[in-house]
Amino acid sequence: MTRVRTSGLAAASVGLLLALTACGGGNEAEAGGSEEIRLWLAGSDTPQELRDYLVETFEAEHEGMSLVIEEQDWSGLVPRLQTALSSESQTPDVVEIGNTQSPTFTHAGAFSDISDLVDELGGDDLLEGFVEAGTVDGDVYAVPYYSGARAVFYRKDLFQQAGVEVPTTLAEFGDAAVALQQANPGGAANFSGFWLPGQDWYNGIAWLYSNGGSLAEQDGDAWVGALSSPESQEGLQQVQELFANATSAPRDADSAEPWVPFNNGEAAMFSAPTWARWSIDLPECNQGVDPDDESEAAQAALAEQQACNEERTGIFPLPGPTAGEPATVFAGGSNIAIPAMSGNQEAARDLLRIIFSEEYQTMLAENGLIPGNSEYADALGDDVYAQAALAAALDAQLTPPAEKWADVEAARILEDFFQEVASGADLAEASARADQLITDTLA
Amino acid sequence: MSAPRTSSAPVLPPAPPRAAAPPVHPDPPGERRPAPRRRSLRSRLGPYLLLLPALVPVAVGLGYPLVRQFVLSFQEYGLAQQFGRPAEWVGLRNYTTLLSDPYVWGVIGRSVLFCLVNAALTMAVGIAVAVLMTRVGRGARITLQVGLLLAWGTPVLATMTVWQWLFDSQYGVVNWLLAEPLGLTGMRQHSWIIEPASFYLVATVIVVWMSVPFVVFTVYAGLLQVPEECMEAAQLDGANAWQRLRHLSLPMVKPVLLVVALLQVIWDLRVFTQIYVLQRAGAPTRETHLLGTYIYSLAKEFSMAGAMATIMLVITFVLTVFYIRRMLKEEV
Amino acid sequence: MTAARPGAPAAARRRARGGGTGRRLLGLLAVLVALVWVFPIYWMVNSAFLPTNRMRTGEPSFLPFGGTFSNFRNVLTDSAFYDAFKVSLAVTGLTLVVAILFAFLGALAISRFRFRGRRSFILTILVVQMIPAEGLFISQYQMLDNWGLVNAVLGLTIVYVAAILPFTVWMLRGFVAGVPLELEEAAMMDGLSRTGAFFRITFPLLAPGLVASGVYGFLQAWNEYTLALVVMTDPDQRTLPLWLQGLVEANRATDWGLVMAGATLISVPVIVFFLFVQKRMSAGLVAGAVKG
Repeated sequence: MTRVRTSGLAAASVGLLLALTACGGGNEAEAGGSEEIRLWLAGSDTPQELRDYLVETFEAEHEGMSLVIEEQDWSGLVPRLQTALSSESQTPDVVEIGNTQSPTFTHAGAFSDISDLVDELGGDDLLEGFVEAGTVDGDVYAVPYYSGARAVFYRKDLFQQAGVEVPTTLAEFGDAAVALQQANPGGAANFSGFWLPGQDWYNGIAWLYSNGGSLAEQDGDAWVGALSSPESQEGLQQVQELFANATSAPRDADSAEPWVPFNNGEAAMFSAPTWARWSIDLPECNQGVDPDDESEAAQAALAEQQACNEERTGIFPLPGPTAGEPATVFAGGSNIAIPAMSGNQEAARDLLRIIFSEEYQTMLAENGLIPGNSEYADALGDDVYAQAALAAALDAQLTPPAEKWADVEAARILEDFFQEVASGADLAEASARADQLITDTLA
Repeated sequence: MSAPRTSSAPVLPPAPPRAAAPPVHPDPPGERRPAPRRRSLRSRLGPYLLLLPALVPVAVGLGYPLVRQFVLSFQEYGLAQQFGRPAEWVGLRNYTTLLSDPYVWGVIGRSVLFCLVNAALTMAVGIAVAVLMTRVGRGARITLQVGLLLAWGTPVLATMTVWQWLFDSQYGVVNWLLAEPLGLTGMRQHSWIIEPASFYLVATVIVVWMSVPFVVFTVYAGLLQVPEECMEAAQLDGANAWQRLRHLSLPMVKPVLLVVALLQVIWDLRVFTQIYVLQRAGAPTRETHLLGTYIYSLAKEFSMAGAMATIMLVITFVLTVFYIRRMLKEEV
Repeated sequence: MTAARPGAPAAARRRARGGGTGRRLLGLLAVLVALVWVFPIYWMVNSAFLPTNRMRTGEPSFLPFGGTFSNFRNVLTDSAFYDAFKVSLAVTGLTLVVAILFAFLGALAISRFRFRGRRSFILTILVVQMIPAEGLFISQYQMLDNWGLVNAVLGLTIVYVAAILPFTVWMLRGFVAGVPLELEEAAMMDGLSRTGAFFRITFPLLAPGLVASGVYGFLQAWNEYTLALVVMTDPDQRTLPLWLQGLVEANRATDWGLVMAGATLISVPVIVFFLFVQKRMSAGLVAGAVKG
């Protein structure tokens, strides 16, 4: 009796599972269809208006085809690309990818060769470092989508009270940061002249780059760590000086949310992408508007609040070693490429043509992003934020275009290294160790 | 429907308590002696049919990927191979590369230590709270259950962000509590995660906080299975609460305890999320890697990660072989 | 105080045991432990009510006075939240039903039957859990892709069931083994069939174990992120954890209040599920064989 009952139950459950498996098989067809092409955009940087433009333009040019834009989170982008790009049915037809992730996928053969398209897309006007990050053996697989660079935000009132002027050279910047830290005009506990947390290598490498140093150099076929070069060492020395005398930021923090201490009156300067302006919220300006309040009065109060914040806050590109030239800062941004598995290569190339059209590039610039084609960067506008961003970006530099650079970032070698620098480690020794790790990782 | 009649039922020996009954089949073990003729094919197939539904998804959804991971560990297989470059067989090279690196041995040592400390703490706290749960009224019990469940059931993304905030150097509540109400002003800007030792302390707090609810719920469920009559009989025999727990309840829930302890060891050895998030909060990465995060840092070299996973399997096996043998012995 | 009236249900007797003061002290201790465990969660909810400029300052805000409901309102008016909710509910529900049913049958097989390959099976499901799964997602993805099950509830369910089953079988086996067979035998002497004895006597005793495994399975499926990330790439097929991560990145500067409100709302079904099943947990004994 028992046996009959239980085995019947078991058989029924197997049946259930099989039935479930079977009914799922149906949606294969729609994924591989060629009537639809899919664009993966990373993060929320591309405004809705631009997405609408792409869809409308593409669909107008391609009768019967549709463009679907799917936004992917930055944090999950790499695992998704690792899987989806190798699947014929699931691969998107055009993808945006972070500029430091680009070499890894390019070398792996994930993208189609678009060398023949480069001239049409902008040729030599395309941001150089980004093209380099998408190039293997002279063939181009990925081109720049947009770039953004960091600029320095500062409190005008604190500068004034401490008697500090906006610096015009990198050396002056260091002096100003130290002077602010010592003056501590607001009397805040734990005050920083310049907010520079221990693991913030994104900002820290500006000193390295500006002194002519680099993170890694190509030596024949191999990449070797270059932190120990005299130029790099000079820059690192300046960074260590800043860590010691110009900042009270924790050593166990990174570049995330630097406006928090700034808003709390605990830092006179911080360096961040220019969109950080929308996160500045000084207590003396805050009007306590209820976020739910959509009345006109509330909107007016919010506008007043933003104006007040921007009046008290200044921005300048980090100055370089000689007056009048900006420092070489780290370039953020992304590339765009056509996955090799995509079955819609021609349509995908058409989409790239639309993205690199004058209209679209101008729209990118108007929205505060440095467009992949630098010819259209003028459309950024002439307010202080746009100007600071532009000045910083034109000289900005990427991480080395080594195949395995993403592994260096995954191993967080630079975070650890800058933390050691911040802790006052012997520079030569710490650099030699980090160089070894970089060389081994890139090998 | 008449209620099950059990008036004649459980007359269990009050003392000495025995270990939880190894399952005794009403039929004497069949496979040891020739199966009786009249057992039909169907009845012999019974257990296999019962197993089948569990076996199929595991074999397909887990077994195949695991075997593939194992095979890959003898190849050179990275991102490029996924896009069509042929995978090269490299024999044991991935294994020798890993095992000849003193750093890897350091990671293994730290992981084993971290795992044992955390598993022991989790079990101790978990059992204590589970026992506590059996001794309190309904209101207190549900409060405790809901509290634990919240800790267990809230998305890790949120709880880890909160823990990060709590231990933040600049704005952390922990530093604030130590400095303001408790007067330890030196702790106002204390960096909790910059030294490996205090990093692991923080990690232990978080891991134990996240793991205890599971232990409590499971052990509590096990304790509920202990028949009331045994407890009463023991009480009549003069056993006090501690003795009843030590000699009656705990031995009776031993199968459950063993399983839970074993799982804690397995899970704590490969702890990943908590360590990963804390590292990203600003800890020195290389000095704080445990096996889980170390494998992840190798993730683009699938073959290397696969080799490390196999090595971990061996370590886990060594750590738990004592339990496993005991458990299998009881299975006879 | 104590001895309960003869004939009272076991659970009632159990509750009555112990002295009044001692029990009250223990109750207090239990509430204290609950508070310690809940504090980080409280902090999350508190932050969900705070305006951004009070979230991280030198003086922590322990109470959300002057706070705002707007974060919760924003989440609750976000249609993406409901879409993700439906997907999560479907995946979790399907996973739970299938996994618990299959695991129960499997646990029964290995604890109540003797057969060739039984020990190997036990060892296998144990070892399977020892292997780190971080590197498995590639193979699992390719498998689902071949079956056309990427971006499908069913595909994610299959990998979740596979992931949860070994544990659940293993766990339930412990609980089945914990029910003394004498109980069943006694019931059979009373004239019940073996099946009847099992379902009348043993099954109710397993309720706490089923609930504990169910809670475990529910939480695993409800909160899983890594596999969902690669399997559900279509924004319309996002599960709640993916939606929450999306919230972190929705603006270039994360709106943490919104994220905390989202996380709070994700936890609500967990509590509802538990309160729904928790009676089973303590009721198991009362309803079961031991009841007089």
